Amino acid sequence: MRIVIDGKKVVLDGCQVETKECGEKMLTELYRRYVGDYPKFFKMDTLSKLGFIASELLLQREASLRGVERFVPSEERGVIMGNRSASIVNDREYEKTIQKGDYYPSPALFVYTLPNIVTGEIAIRNKFYGESGFYVVEDKETLMEIVRSSSMKAGIVGWVECRGRNDFEADVELI
Amino acid sequence: MNVTKEQLKQQIIEALNLEGMTPDDIQDDAPLFGEGLGLDSIDALELMMVFDKHYGIKLTDRNESKRVFASVNTMVEYIESKR
Amino acid sequence: MIIKVSDNIISPLGVGSEENFIRVSKGESMLRRHEDAEGLLQPYYASLFTERRVFSELCIEAAEEALWGCGVDASSDKVLFVVSTTKGEDLELYHSSEKIVKHFGNKNGVIVVSNACTSGVCAQITAARMLNTGKYDTAIVVGCDIQTPFIVSGFQSFKALSDELCRPFDGARRGLNLGEAAAAMILRRTDDIEEGQWEYVAGGIHNDANHISGPSRTGEGALRCLNDVRNGGFGDLAFVNLHGTASLYNDDMESVAINRAGLGEMPVNSLKGYYGHTMGAAGVLETIISMKAVEHNIVLGTRGLVTVGTVENVNASNENRSCGGNGFVKLLSGFGGSNAAVRWRIKR
Repeated sequence: MRIVIDGKKVVLDGCQVETKECGEKMLTELYRRYVGDYPKFFKMDTLSKLGFIASELLLQREASLRGVERFVPSEERGVIMGNRSASIVNDREYEKTIQKGDYYPSPALFVYTLPNIVTGEIAIRNKFYGESGFYVVEDKETLMEIVRSSSMKAGIVGWVECRGRNDFEADVELI
Repeated sequence: MNVTKEQLKQQIIEALNLEGMTPDDIQDDAPLFGEGLGLDSIDALELMMVFDKHYGIKLTDRNESKRVFASVNTMVEYIESKR
Repeated sequence: MIIKVSDNIISPLGVGSEENFIRVSKGESMLRRHEDAEGLLQPYYASLFTERRVFSELCIEAAEEALWGCGVDASSDKVLFVVSTTKGEDLELYHSSEKIVKHFGNKNGVIVVSNACTSGVCAQITAARMLNTGKYDTAIVVGCDIQTPFIVSGFQSFKALSDELCRPFDGARRGLNLGEAAAAMILRRTDDIEEGQWEYVAGGIHNDANHISGPSRTGEGALRCLNDVRNGGFGDLAFVNLHGTASLYNDDMESVAINRAGLGEMPVNSLKGYYGHTMGAAGVLETIISMKAVEHNIVLGTRGLVTVGTVENVNASNENRSCGGNGFVKLLSGFGGSNAAVRWRIKR
């Protein structure tokens, strides 16, 4: 099962998901409509919000289609993701907090200056104890080569690119 | 600068991205961590930054900050004691 | 099987793996107190190069030295570059790592492993797996991070840095010291191994599924990594080289994980008292130093440790100890709940 998200559109399992907003506001709209009970969402950077929403919609869809229960701790399931620009959007946000004359480094922003935090957020939410990893590579094909070579048998894998708070795309699969 | 509980609550809400909450939702004497607002260790560190930024107070000791951040009341008391 | 054919370390302690090992085995370190010229940062302890180094140049230098004399054509399409870093250069991880492959005329692109502080071990595991697909013969693994106000201020905002030299596993430990270094390993897929060569045995990567900045108190991810590299038993190990950052929670977590894995008696150590936490370089650098230690039949002392004071006991000492054994396990953990372990064995 696959989900594709860009700044304007969400396609889950081949069907477009109706949205009114664009960019990060669209992710918040999806959170309110489909999740709603995980306030940590609002603390996440855009990259994590993007990966989180993609994984939530996939796992909800799986639960409704296959009648499986969600939030059951899984030894087997993991999260492997990748992109081209790492955590650059949030890195720049953190940089703003360490300017000369306005120097108040924010730990809440600093923690998201690592791209693998999105994989951690998904593992934490779903109690996935399997492999988690983030790769900064040329394209999704390279990422999928890495995934196929890994020992991960099931979980969330895919491309989560974030170049701006309203400029992003995700192409994520549940395997 | 006069610190009001209202102001402090607004700063907490903004700094910690407590979406959908208003100052009225935070009780003066309710615990902020654990059961209360469900804040975690990163939130505690972020509150230390808020103290530095808005009140010029540098907290460094984690144990002391635990006591100071117990509730809005204890935070205001601490800010006023440092004045 | 996958073997290591060459390696190199460039650190404030010296240039070359051998030079680094000799200085570490003598108990030397370049950890010093630093004051920021701009005055923004609080003073901090770190192991830094005396001159400012550029990430991509340092990686190229480390890889070139490792490649010297081992007969690998780095421009070949059978050669894969895997870079381990958390920040690269100007925060541009891909672009700055691409400079390295371009320098060598390699057209395969680059895999940058960015799994926080576990990246250096994850990079070895990823390289070994990619070699096992058969698409590549050789992998060049380079780990590197250069300290910047960005990183130092962030760790300071986390109250994670010690205001003194770090003391891994010690009851009075007060946090970590940062460090910078570059380390490179050349790995090759082969059917036969010669005496004295190192074989990659196994690797594991697992999430704690607990918290993005705090390790699991029960060591869930680390324990699963250790189980992944158990491989029938730990009988032939000389030691386990832990992450041992000297942060309160990390060292406690590791003590719990190794005891749960049945390694409570196994000699363990941390190299952070020599190098500080070199982030993207740590996994590669500490693996190379651990190989040298096994070759010399010693467990390197944990510099900075006085009295063990982790929540579960660990068999650590601040002195070099002699040991038997033909291999070791290198364990790491980091932000995002990530944990990784790799196991290497020497052919005697």
